[in-house]
Amino acid sequence: MSGTNGRIVVVGAGVAGVSAAGAARLAGYEGEIVLLGGEDALPYRRPTVSKELVRGDKGPDEVRIKPASWYEKNAIDLRTGVRAESVDPTAREVRLSDGSTLGYDQLLLATGGRPRRLAAGDSGAVTLREIGDADLLRERLDGRPDVVVVGAGLIGSEIAASARQLGCDVTLLETAPLPMPRVLPADLGRMYADWHAAEGTELHADVRVRAIRPDADDPSLTVVEADDGRTWTAPVVVEAVGMTPDVELARTVGVRLDDELGGVQVDELGRTSVPDVFAAGDVASMPDLVRGGRHRVEHWQNAQNHGAAVGRAMAGVEKPFDEVPWCWSDQYGGTLQITGWPESSHTIVVRGDLDAHDFTAFYLDAEGILLGAVGLGRPREIRSARGWIGERRRLDTTRLGDESVALEETLVS
Amino acid sequence: MKVWECQQCGFIYDEAQGWEEEGFPPGTKWEDIPDDWTCPDCGAAKADFTMTEVA
Ligand SMILES: Cc1cc2nc3c(=O)[nH]c(=O)nc-3n(C[C@H](O)[C@H](O)[C@H](O)COP(=O)(O)OP(=O)(O)OC[C@H]3O[C@@H](n4cnc5c(N)ncnc54)[C@H](O)[C@@H]3O)c2cc1C
Ligand SMILES: [Zn+2]
Repeated sequence: MSGTNGRIVVVGAGVAGVSAAGAARLAGYEGEIVLLGGEDALPYRRPTVSKELVRGDKGPDEVRIKPASWYEKNAIDLRTGVRAESVDPTAREVRLSDGSTLGYDQLLLATGGRPRRLAAGDSGAVTLREIGDADLLRERLDGRPDVVVVGAGLIGSEIAASARQLGCDVTLLETAPLPMPRVLPADLGRMYADWHAAEGTELHADVRVRAIRPDADDPSLTVVEADDGRTWTAPVVVEAVGMTPDVELARTVGVRLDDELGGVQVDELGRTSVPDVFAAGDVASMPDLVRGGRHRVEHWQNAQNHGAAVGRAMAGVEKPFDEVPWCWSDQYGGTLQITGWPESSHTIVVRGDLDAHDFTAFYLDAEGILLGAVGLGRPREIRSARGWIGERRRLDTTRLGDESVALEETLVS
Repeated sequence: MKVWECQQCGFIYDEAQGWEEEGFPPGTKWEDIPDDWTCPDCGAAKADFTMTEVA
């Protein structure tokens, strides 16, 4: 039952949950909206955890998604520090960590994810996802200790850069031959490898980490051990090896999960397999309306805008979510932007100069249809590319790299 | 006075408040911000902002 009355319960006060609650209200929902946040903090901008917060450039008050007054103004009953423990979909009730139960007419699972770990148990390494993790790491970086970061994905690369900027000696370990292998092709990975070297971050690629454990002689140190027997020992070890969607609550609801992509399967309006139960953000595996099939996206823009679209659908304003994914990453003061699906491409054309950190790389399929783009310092080209990816436009690959030709003129169809 | 929101990251530019960190005093109109200005949080283009109804 979507409509304008009743009670919506949103589980998870990350950006997907907050955006859904706000969008449902703005779309005219007049019933109750309860927003359950498992974390104690007022909802905050998670991307700052590996950047501004860990460097101390911003404090917790400067990274809120909305001011505290916003929730009251929009009659959103935000309950922080309260977890949903289980759901009874027949009784339409959520059991909460404070022992109470809460009925719902519509339920949104916006539970995001947790850091993936190489092994269970306390290895001595820290992970980074919540605001408290940033506080802890910042304190530990105070005396500029040596730092080992395991994993050179987006987050690991950012943490390495942040720690380096704070003056630490940083070693960055990656299984793949180059950094950010999931989102960047070789040319750009190489550019980042060079960038780390220029900044004095020691990158070791092709390293398969086998174990992380406290040092037997000195428990203040942590040891990272590779498959080939090499070890690195440091006072601070950060484990940044990806995230796992949090489906713990979803399992109690009995919604269909996505075995391949992880997370909860939803349709183009965010509906799960159980009536009146929706999912949004990092936890949702959704139809990919541009390329077909399904995808699960782990970026801020997707969580924010998918959450809003699903919130509107819950208020009865049903418009399929078809945005092209889009994300950014800050390393050493340069803002990288990635849009679409560069990893699935056939042809790459670079416009600009990689070494000068001023370029857009375009990713196309065999027919010249644009699939993705990655840029540094060129937000306008990324914006154009994002629109064209959604429209499945074709570009002239022979002229695309020529900066004397206006970008628009390289459109073929 | 209008409010503009970054579509990528949700950063809010409020004309009434301006953005002193980059030299835009309170009251600076959106059209007076240079076209090559980018979002302070995520680097999106000025054109990636939309005028917004602030709930
Ligand atoms: C360190 C870091 C840096 C990042 N940097 C960038 C970046 O630069 N650019 C970018 O595009 N993306 C970035 N991301 C990704 C982006 O932050 C995520 O895509 C986004 O936060 C997902 O939002 P979400 O609301 O779906 O989930 P989350 O942000 O994970 O929020 C889910 C919330 O639900 C809560 N929860 C879970 N289960 C329950 C329960 N049972 N009861 C109550 N509450 C519950 C959790 O505690 C959490 O607060 C970064 C992520 C991290 C971790
Ligand atoms: Zn932005």
